[in-house]
Amino acid sequence: MPEVSVKLSVNGQARQATVEPRVTLADFLREECRLTGTHLGCEHGVCGACTVLVDGAAVRSCLVFAVQVAGCEITTVEGMASPDGRLSAVQQAFRACHGLQCGFCTPGFIVTVTAFLRDHPNPTDLEIREALSGNLCRCTGYQGIFEAVRQAARAGRAARPGERGETGETGEAR
Amino acid sequence: MKPAPFEYHAPASAAEAASLLAELGDGAKVLAGGQSLIPMLALRLAIFDHLVDIGRIAELKGIERRDGGLWVGSCTTDAAVEASAEVSAAVPLLARATPFVGHFQIRSRGTLGGSIAHADPAAEYPAVALALDARMEVVSARGRRTIAAADFFDGLWTTSMAPDEILCGVWFPTWGGRSGFAVEEFARRHGDFAIAGATVAVELDGEDRIRRCAIGLIGLGSTPERATAAEAELAGRPLAEVEAEEVGRLAMAGLAAVPGDLHGSAGYRRRVGAAMAARAWTAAAAEARRA
Amino acid sequence: MSGPAAKGARRYAGERVHRVEDARLLTGHGTFVDDVSLPGMLHACFVRSPFARAAIRGIDASAALALPGVRFVFTAADLNPGVHEQWHTSIGPKMPETPRPPLAEGEARFAGDPVALVVAESRYLAEDAVERVAVDYDPLPAVVDYAQAEHAEALVHQSHGSNLIGRFAGLPASALDDVFDSAAHVVSEAIHQQACAPVPLEGRGLVVDYSRSTGDLTIWSATQTPHEVRLFCSRLLGMPEHRIRVVTRDTGGGFGQKVMVQRDEMCLMLAAPKVGVPVKWVEDRRENLLAAGKSRQEHAEVKLAFDADGAIQAAYIDFVQDCGAYPTPWPLGPAVSVGMLFPGPYRVPRAGFSVATVYTNTVGRMPYRGPWQFESLSREVLLDIAARQMDMDPMELRRRNLLRRDELPYANPNGMTYDNVSPLETFEQALEMLDYEGFRAEQAEARRAGRYLGVGLSNYVEPSTPGQGYYATEAATIRIEPSGRVNVYVAGGSSGNSIETTVVQLAADALGVKIEDVNTIQGDTAVTGFGAGSAGSRSASMTAGAVRETARVLRDRILAIAAHQLEVGIEDVELADSRASVRGRPELGVSLADLANRAYFNTRKLPPGVPAGLEASARYTTETQTIWVNATHLCTCEVDVTTGRVQLLRYIVSEDCGPMINPNVVEGQIAGGTVQGIGGALYEHLAYDEDGNPIATTFMDYLLPTSTEVPTIEYGHIETPSPGPGGYKGVGEGGAIGAPPAVVNAVADALSPFGVKPTRLPLSPARIVALLGGDG
Repeated sequence: MPEVSVKLSVNGQARQATVEPRVTLADFLREECRLTGTHLGCEHGVCGACTVLVDGAAVRSCLVFAVQVAGCEITTVEGMASPDGRLSAVQQAFRACHGLQCGFCTPGFIVTVTAFLRDHPNPTDLEIREALSGNLCRCTGYQGIFEAVRQAARAGRAARPGERGETGETGEAR
Repeated sequence: MKPAPFEYHAPASAAEAASLLAELGDGAKVLAGGQSLIPMLALRLAIFDHLVDIGRIAELKGIERRDGGLWVGSCTTDAAVEASAEVSAAVPLLARATPFVGHFQIRSRGTLGGSIAHADPAAEYPAVALALDARMEVVSARGRRTIAAADFFDGLWTTSMAPDEILCGVWFPTWGGRSGFAVEEFARRHGDFAIAGATVAVELDGEDRIRRCAIGLIGLGSTPERATAAEAELAGRPLAEVEAEEVGRLAMAGLAAVPGDLHGSAGYRRRVGAAMAARAWTAAAAEARRA
Repeated sequence: MSGPAAKGARRYAGERVHRVEDARLLTGHGTFVDDVSLPGMLHACFVRSPFARAAIRGIDASAALALPGVRFVFTAADLNPGVHEQWHTSIGPKMPETPRPPLAEGEARFAGDPVALVVAESRYLAEDAVERVAVDYDPLPAVVDYAQAEHAEALVHQSHGSNLIGRFAGLPASALDDVFDSAAHVVSEAIHQQACAPVPLEGRGLVVDYSRSTGDLTIWSATQTPHEVRLFCSRLLGMPEHRIRVVTRDTGGGFGQKVMVQRDEMCLMLAAPKVGVPVKWVEDRRENLLAAGKSRQEHAEVKLAFDADGAIQAAYIDFVQDCGAYPTPWPLGPAVSVGMLFPGPYRVPRAGFSVATVYTNTVGRMPYRGPWQFESLSREVLLDIAARQMDMDPMELRRRNLLRRDELPYANPNGMTYDNVSPLETFEQALEMLDYEGFRAEQAEARRAGRYLGVGLSNYVEPSTPGQGYYATEAATIRIEPSGRVNVYVAGGSSGNSIETTVVQLAADALGVKIEDVNTIQGDTAVTGFGAGSAGSRSASMTAGAVRETARVLRDRILAIAAHQLEVGIEDVELADSRASVRGRPELGVSLADLANRAYFNTRKLPPGVPAGLEASARYTTETQTIWVNATHLCTCEVDVTTGRVQLLRYIVSEDCGPMINPNVVEGQIAGGTVQGIGGALYEHLAYDEDGNPIATTFMDYLLPTSTEVPTIEYGHIETPSPGPGGYKGVGEGGAIGAPPAVVNAVADALSPFGVKPTRLPLSPARIVALLGGDG
């Protein structure tokens, strides 16, 4: 079957490769871009380990063909930390709260939580659990992950003092 | 789990997509959000020689008030439906169904039209469309036509669209008056396909009598189901005389093909379906009464 | 245990130290097997039997080989003759074992049985080729119902002559007739646990790179036991071990499924020399659910006898376990553990057991976190049933029978002697954490309002840190570099259990160095001493022992060199924060970097008798056969009696895992196991239909708990040290042992007004409704 040229931007960098149209965005990132942080846990859209941002929206990259998102801006877990290597607030919270063990599901959670907190900076506990329910973890029992989201939300609010209801918290690790 | 090879086409307009489908014939399949299609391709449960990607065709996206109702372009994402103030105002049942559609990551890509065209009986949008007598606008190389929801869902994952037809948009009527809307569904886990569910719309008159109601059922047949007999029985009755439990029972009567599988027998689904219909009724009626 | 520490020295053991693994894992820079890419690497995919049992009449690979990019299609005739020896080190060469042809030979014995191996330029192409391999199958009657397997006409393995793998008994039931016949109360039930699977998020996989020019073999493996992979492979291929290197950098979960080399991996090892370039095989989720192995499928008739006051008089279990077609390893040993441990942490004067393991034409049984946990499930569920039958509070029944500290060491009636545990204490702590009386009041009020809340509990005692055979030792090498930084080499095998971090904590303490100066290298057989890997909840104790033994050698040397340099007695030198200083005169000191410099480059200045360099290796041998751990799980739930939905409300784990190296790691291990146990109780089911076709082969049907199904877990800690190094105990498996019975008992308690007895798992909503008399 004829291959197609796919051009997109990944973590701010222009990328291009010629691939079969059946190559998923997940495989394009892993194989063509050599960005192996995005993981394949099921390849049928349930586990969320492959979550990336496409034009800012959290998406299961195993359920998208690379060719469908030509021209889009893709953000992977490798694009979460700042260029000088400082972990993002979400990444720091996961570390502080023991939100990972084997690390295989972690990139998907980091991306999911980053998108979720960006759009819902003040979530209730129930909203957090529901937002996390599209990502599976087999190691942590979700305990550290849930705490990490709460901590990252607190840190985000602390960074924006004066917002309704939350002032003075430093969001430090426990 | 990698899909089998296919050729990829990205037409720029609905007309181009339609003529492409006509040309490519049987081995072609429309791709919109891909959230239902791509897992099937990955599992090689389905194989197509050609995929026609309509997901970026601008004329197939959008949410607009039209003709006393709301038109939603078929390639409008679930996320856009979820975020839309127009949907909340004009078709609350659609807004209330959307949080049950998978997880937010699925909703970023999944489309309203894709869900309706895929016609999974355990999905939410087909039941809402059926309950509200939505109209599906389809196009082919032979022209445009509109299919009423009651005539749209033919069987398991099967619609009355011809193989060369593409769903362009869905028009939902807006209910006025004192109306209430609710969706209740039961799934094994948050975000899973419903074991059974109900989408309920009810309108009351000035004396709290049921002017009309619509009950769509999820997961209780090989297609979404409409509890027409229940609706007929309830119309005209004073709301206060109607027990939610009765609504549940009525809604389950006449269901001929309730499925059974690893997650529950047909009898179990009926039980749950009755409970979901009753709970949705209670919530919708309460909203209508407050209106 | 680590020698005199300086006053005020920072101690890392016991602290919630942030993990050293996290920096790479949080940023997507871990190296899992599928991340390994080598020049010229090819990709493998298996052709698998769609039938539970079929004769294989022929395989035609011509259409597959005709596809561009497809390089090889191997069959049994190609690979199987390459086997020199195959046996697992923990079992040994002399034990009877299930015949394990790498590829199915003549007969497929389960749906998913590997029949041929395709090697192609990409996984996409390999999968295309798999579809084009034409296998001529002749379906045969399959043995599917394990309860009937012993008497089935068809044989899973003809050479075995029977579907009964083996039977073993302790005291026979007849020997207990006198007790059961005369007891004031006898309760007996049949309890069934369904097939589950460990389901690590990363499936199995390996990259095998055989160099034709040097004869060296390098394997990147998703494994919990890198040295065992190397040993197994060397025997399999008849290659000396030193020519084989196994590297495991990051493994995405294992839970027992990645402890033993299985047939699929054997095929890759056998194929590699024929392929001549690196070959990668990574299973996808469907394969993992189909062919990686199952666990937990078993049932038993269990009975307990009580006197009039509810004191247990005798216990008996008659246990049958489904082992599938290719169990790994020989399953009789683990099954016997179920019988031996059935009395649990209770005062049980007499007990007997009988265990039987059978073959069926389904995927083979594999170890899974707490493989013997059925003993706790069946005993704790039966105790609650007994309490209700005797009209006694289930907690009071436990209180009367739980072992007290003054009764230890306690030899259970099957000859297992428990010590250093605190069953009664963890039990009482759990009830206090819940406010048990408060909950009962809440429950009563809810019942009046037509809502059904329940509370359930389980107590267990668990053997960790096995001291037999190749598990009994663990080694470490410590190199203090000329810069004064410390490198600690241990065998590893972490699939998420944080032993990189715990090793760094332990070494920092043992040597008195700053934790940021310590690094660890694990998971590379070319670099580390032999270790049995992460299994049997052994890593904490064994690694602590290895680090202690090795650090002791270096600590003595460092103290001697420092004392010599500072011109004081050895007893006056303290080590803290990477510095040796004079006790009471902290300004008089020398950095570890300076000491290292002297040891490596200025050896004439060393004290007499002290060797040059600061490197040491040592191997620790455990002095115990078992280190016992115990805990109590207590949970509350609400059951919706219309839909059968169970919502867990509070979940308490009151445990005694001894002193903790890192409380975060301990709690994380408990939480992970607990949620797997919740999954097993309520959601997960590796189901087969009556023809042996697997039904749950994707995550749509095999349901793992998500964050919305799981409550916040509360931890209560009691600390009874073990006799081992640091007093540490194993904690990796307990959650999966304690959780299922606690959840089942909570549901049963919620539904007690209806008089139902949930004894068959999973307690899906449909099953609960069926128990209540509705359609299920």
